[in-house]
Amino acid sequence: MSSAHENHGGISTHGHNGPRALPASLNAPSELLAWRTRALMIAAAFALLSLFFAFTHEGRNHILRAYLMGYMTCFNFAGGGLVVLMLQYVTGGKWGLLLRRPLEAMTRTLPLVALMYIPILIPTLGKHLYQWIRYPDAASTNNALAQGLITKEQAITANFKRPMLNPYSMIVEYCIIFAVLLTLMYLLNKWSLNRDADTLRGTELSYERWRTRFENLSGPGILIYVVMLTIGAIVWIKSLDVTWYSSIWGLQFLVAQGYAVLALGILTVILLSRYEPLKTLLRTTEQHDLGKFLFAFVMLNIYLTFAEFLIIWSGNLPDEIPWYLSRIHGGWWTICTLDFVCHWLVPFCLLLSRDLKRSKQKMIWITCFMLFARCVDMFWLIEPNFSDAAGNLHIAGNIGILAYITVPATVIALWAAYYMTQLLERPLVNVNDPHLEEMMEPEHAH
Amino acid sequence: MPPREGIYGLLAEFNTPGELVHATEQAHQAGYRRMECYTPYPVEEAAAALRFHKTRVPLLCLLGGIIGLITAFLMQTWISVWSYPLNIAGRPLFSWPAFIIPAYEWTILFAGLSTAFGMFALNGLPQLYHPLFNAPNFRNGATTDKFFLCLEAHDPRFSIIEARSFLERFAPISVVEVKH
Repeated sequence: MSSAHENHGGISTHGHNGPRALPASLNAPSELLAWRTRALMIAAAFALLSLFFAFTHEGRNHILRAYLMGYMTCFNFAGGGLVVLMLQYVTGGKWGLLLRRPLEAMTRTLPLVALMYIPILIPTLGKHLYQWIRYPDAASTNNALAQGLITKEQAITANFKRPMLNPYSMIVEYCIIFAVLLTLMYLLNKWSLNRDADTLRGTELSYERWRTRFENLSGPGILIYVVMLTIGAIVWIKSLDVTWYSSIWGLQFLVAQGYAVLALGILTVILLSRYEPLKTLLRTTEQHDLGKFLFAFVMLNIYLTFAEFLIIWSGNLPDEIPWYLSRIHGGWWTICTLDFVCHWLVPFCLLLSRDLKRSKQKMIWITCFMLFARCVDMFWLIEPNFSDAAGNLHIAGNIGILAYITVPATVIALWAAYYMTQLLERPLVNVNDPHLEEMMEPEHAH
Repeated sequence: MPPREGIYGLLAEFNTPGELVHATEQAHQAGYRRMECYTPYPVEEAAAALRFHKTRVPLLCLLGGIIGLITAFLMQTWISVWSYPLNIAGRPLFSWPAFIIPAYEWTILFAGLSTAFGMFALNGLPQLYHPLFNAPNFRNGATTDKFFLCLEAHDPRFSIIEARSFLERFAPISVVEVKH
């Protein structure tokens, strides 16, 4: 080109094109303290409401089942947080840096979640939930069969699955699962702080070293986690119906965890972006990316759930279909439809829209709705396992079923308060990461 | 179609994307709508200045998907219920759960095809002739290191004198008339 052209194109630094400044304080805003108080107040209010159900026989039964639902929802956040945390280490990307500290906070709730399961480990409580605790050996199972308390199929499968499903292996499985998960949690959280404190931070050498280190733990970690989750999901939820089996069960829980954790993670960063430092750090670009990721989980979730249903529906075998029949007949059709509509139809249709994924206010609503949908799904999975509810959803004379609203609300609100405590513990962004520089660029930078 | 004659538009050449975006933004504010930016690589700000992001491609994608869904579902229903009814293990002829997977696949297929071909159609492709290639500086610069803004003559706001003086306010390297 001619020299005239070159003269013209010298300096073109427009002020708005340079990188933005990192906020002075990266700590979580103190507003979280107020939110935490609010969560505790909600927990207390719902705990009081739940107390009323303790006065009826029906209510007492439902409190325990509803507690299991609350526990599993919290486990999904804590364990799911762990697996998504490892996933973002192996895949990399700016979305991972943005969610990293909230995900770490979710994993650090694992000790609380581990404590939460202890009441169910007590046989006097656990026997109200699990047939295999009620009849822990072959003699009592056969006795129950003779008295007509359980069906022949239940007796046969319970005896067959005894090595995995009995009060002692349950404790062993619980210990193994949480020992592994807590170890992973401990290492990932410790290294994350060490990474920021690295004396070589900000250099290529430091980036590479930490990246490799996290990847080497996270790769095998994901695999181990999936095995642990599968065991947990089978023992805690699937074995409520001792005759039920499905090879996709663990994967279904894994995807549902991704669904819930992403929804909660997006909700967390959007709510925190009202204040510094996330006000600066959360760009629409990354929010849009997270929205697309969430959409993928909405799709994958229905794909697995429907695939399981379709295979069993096609096979039409008498030992497989009762699980679905007791979840479709007798009023359960409404919950089943609600589950489909809330869990897939509404999020799918809404998340198709580009504008919605880029709107903060709308994403707050949709993520809250998706978390609600997870609860509907969990209710649909748990309650029909019990003979008084299978294929017979009723409220008349069964007011205790409302414990499914109050008890999980208490448990989840308590968990949320602890989650916020953990969020307050650390700066909201991991600074020794090359992606931080990209996130500080103005949007649409070229 | 009779051969088109006269001016296609006025083409301003800039050295930097910043100048191009500024000029485009000003042109939009001055009321010009029929205009286009040409850059050697994607410049998001230029697209934003052109108010480009609202296209009809997403609508085509959605319509394609819905058409695919309905077509596949109705086709399977027609085949199974009326055209060639088969009794499969005593299930009802209208066994909708089995229809969902193919209907889903057709949704994806139709949505994908209508997006790709809809995008081509909305871009006016295939196009064997474009008047801008009559401008020699465009031919040399548009794919290497120059940034162009073209105010098109079919904009009702367009007049050759006014548009030229408007573009020259931004000190471009050149403003050339492009013939059809």
